[in-house]
Amino acid sequence: MNRILMSCRVNGEDHTCLADPRDTLLELLRERLQLTGTKEGCGNGNCGSCTVLVDGAAVCACLVLAGEAQGVEVTTVEGLAASGGGRHPVQQALIDHGGTQCGFCTPGIIMSAVALLRENPDPTDAEIRHAIAGNICRCTGYEKIVRAIASAAAEIRS
Amino acid sequence: MNDTGDIDWAARNTVVGKRLARVDAGERVTGTARYPADMKLPGMLHAKVLRSPHAHARIMRIDTGPALALDGVKAIVTANDFNDIPVGATIPMGEAGYDMWMVARINIAKDKVFWVGQPVAYVAATDPHIAEAALDLIAVDYEPLAAVMDIDAAMAPGAPIIHENVVTTGVEQPPHGHHGPSNICSRTVIERGLPGIAMEAAFATTSIEVRIDTAHQGYIEPQAMLAAVDANGMATVWASTQGQHTTEIMIARMLDRPQSRLKVVPLEIGGGFGGKIAIHGEAACVRLSELTGRPVRLVLTREEVFQGGSGPPAAARHRITVGAEPDGSLVAIDGLYHMDAGGLPGLSPGLMMQASAALYQCPNLRLEGYDIVTNKPRTEAYRGPGGIQAYFAMEQAMDALCQRLDIDPLAFRQRNAAVTGSTMPIGTPFPSIGLTTILDHVARHPCWTDPLPTGDMPRGRGLALGYWRGTSMTSACQISIAGDGRPMVTMGSADISGTRTTMAQVAAEQFQLAIGDVHVAMGDTKSVGYSDGAAGSRLARTMAAAVVEASTKALDVLRSRAARLLQADPGALTYAKGTFRQAASSGSEISLAEIMQATLTEGAIIETGVSTKLPLGVEVGAHVADVEVDSETGQVTVLRYTAFQDVGRALNPAAVEGQIEGSVVQGLGWALTEGFDYGADGRLRNASMLDYRMPTALDVPPIDTVIIETPVPDVPYGLRGVGEVPIVPVAGCIANAIARAIGTRVTEMPMTPERVLRAIRQSAS
Repeated sequence: MNRILMSCRVNGEDHTCLADPRDTLLELLRERLQLTGTKEGCGNGNCGSCTVLVDGAAVCACLVLAGEAQGVEVTTVEGLAASGGGRHPVQQALIDHGGTQCGFCTPGIIMSAVALLRENPDPTDAEIRHAIAGNICRCTGYEKIVRAIASAAAEIRS
Repeated sequence: MNDTGDIDWAARNTVVGKRLARVDAGERVTGTARYPADMKLPGMLHAKVLRSPHAHARIMRIDTGPALALDGVKAIVTANDFNDIPVGATIPMGEAGYDMWMVARINIAKDKVFWVGQPVAYVAATDPHIAEAALDLIAVDYEPLAAVMDIDAAMAPGAPIIHENVVTTGVEQPPHGHHGPSNICSRTVIERGLPGIAMEAAFATTSIEVRIDTAHQGYIEPQAMLAAVDANGMATVWASTQGQHTTEIMIARMLDRPQSRLKVVPLEIGGGFGGKIAIHGEAACVRLSELTGRPVRLVLTREEVFQGGSGPPAAARHRITVGAEPDGSLVAIDGLYHMDAGGLPGLSPGLMMQASAALYQCPNLRLEGYDIVTNKPRTEAYRGPGGIQAYFAMEQAMDALCQRLDIDPLAFRQRNAAVTGSTMPIGTPFPSIGLTTILDHVARHPCWTDPLPTGDMPRGRGLALGYWRGTSMTSACQISIAGDGRPMVTMGSADISGTRTTMAQVAAEQFQLAIGDVHVAMGDTKSVGYSDGAAGSRLARTMAAAVVEASTKALDVLRSRAARLLQADPGALTYAKGTFRQAASSGSEISLAEIMQATLTEGAIIETGVSTKLPLGVEVGAHVADVEVDSETGQVTVLRYTAFQDVGRALNPAAVEGQIEGSVVQGLGWALTEGFDYGADGRLRNASMLDYRMPTALDVPPIDTVIIETPVPDVPYGLRGVGEVPIVPVAGCIANAIARAIGTRVTEMPMTPERVLRAIRQSAS
């Protein structure tokens, strides 16, 4: 199949590459741009492991065709540290609160949490749980993740 | 959330026992942790798997010609490309060995397919899309055979036979009156006392029969692997595995490849829970790499993982009958267990049967278990394999007996609780066990003493116990002392539960250093000694013993070098916090860094530690749950959940809580929503994470954990296993809470709204 020329802005850098028209945004990020921090857990938009920010909104990268990402601005987990020069408070809080175990869902959880805190800097526990309801974690039972996000929110507000 | 009971964690002044962040958390939160699917090598090919569309069929012919002709396809392998592993072949692994014929058949079908999704061929191509397209061009002629999809169908007289070579073992009278092939692979009986007579004479008896659907471990990372065979024939496999050494043995046997020509490198594992002990394509990738001279990567899809590409935990049908005196003293337990092994035999139910009755002192018992084959994926381990299913039956039977006798369920457990030295189901005395201590904690905890808050809908509070034996087996590590004097620990096993962190704590404690001064890594199979896999709640306990041994040996060598440098007698030196000092008044001292700077070029300090046959650290837990049941819809809401567990000693309470909280939520999933739905054609109808419904953050309450410490004698730090038992009581606990809310028992698991509603309606009519 003929390759398509793709241009988009990822983590503040302009990228141009050849992609297969069947590629998803997730495959574009992982296989063409070597940004492997974003994970594939299901490929159907059910697990949230591939959550990235597209023009600021949290979306499952496996549900977006690469071709649809032409000209958009994408932020992945790799882009959080770069923009802030260090770890994002959500990243640090997950470390401090034991909110990451196997780590496979973690990048997606982080991106959902970052999107939440941009919209709602002072979420309730219920709002946090709602925001990450599309991210399946099989290791932690969620409570330590919820505590971490609440703590990160407090950190950002202070 | 945490209720630490009587333990004051803040007062702990040692590294071991402290609440510390994972040493590998930084990579996880920045997306730099490396899983096999993240790996890429120059010239790498992509593999895809052709899987059986039939639940049961004979393979008549496979034609790979048209697929091989597709531009970009580099190689295809089928069963003929692998070593012919005979039935009954095992590899050394733990006490009983591991069934190598099973491993071979879950990796590639030969002559017959036994379930939908069983691998039939592997393709390697320059691009995953091309590999996918090639699958459609492989022509396979099947002769479809009648399939059996559940335990009842498999056991029925005249049922289609799945394996012509399987004859029931462990029976005097064959099940169908003849010793011909059968889907009933084995019978196991454990009997003590006079159970029949005792049950007959019991003041009160209750009986419950339960059915449990196949579920899935639900690890978020689908199986992934990368293999590369170099020009000299050395093969390297980067794997997501619970055991790099056992993976090496499995690959070597499937390929008849010398183990010296194979290295397995463990990368991060995105969840395993028992499902990543066996290999699922690694041997095929090595073969494809041999054939093409190029690296080959295989990443399974979620649909493949669910639809036959991985081993789910077993469906089951159990019947438990229990009898007691009027005061609640147990007199007899009778258990009949049927385990659905899936498409290949060998699921020995013995350990699970013993576990199910282990927590009760009972003079008379009879446990009878069957290993049944069906045309479903061969089941594999899941966190205390068989435990949650068995305790779903056992704890409901006990709770029903309490209701019959009008006895408080906690008092009933206290009366009959197993204690250190009491007789286990197999007749041997119990090793150190803290069950009565746990029950005392439950008795004074608010989760039990608070009145159940009333609501608009029926509510109930449930109690259930859980037990898992765990295992010890072999763990090895080595410690080298870096040029700056810091210890570098290399483990022979994979890290599935934060083992690098807990072992850094152990090594830091041994060397009296800060945790940040110790480095712990997973080693590949050619750089560190044989270790069994991370399974059976064994790793932290046994690896701690290995780290203690290697640390002691390394400190001995450092001491002798220090003595020479200080011109002192080694015995006259004291060691504290990274420095050797002369006890005498001269006051000369030397740090580990100074020792290594002075002596590194004399030769490295590399010391090994090996733990085998460490005493068991049996796991016991008690769970309490409050639920609310919507009697209009059957929807169950878990309002409050508290898990008590004796861990011997918590190496890292945050890690222990993490294991317990995650395990409970997995258990809530299987208890309430997770079940595989197979059609009569053998096809899984809910092979996605949308339709196979694992708990989200909205579905579960915060899990309270209460950690109790009853150390195990003769084990470093008194450690018990941690990771498996917290799933064991969950379904029984929820079932007991539901029964007390709605006044009737739900005997099918998962207890979906449909099933709960059916139970409510049946009890009303």
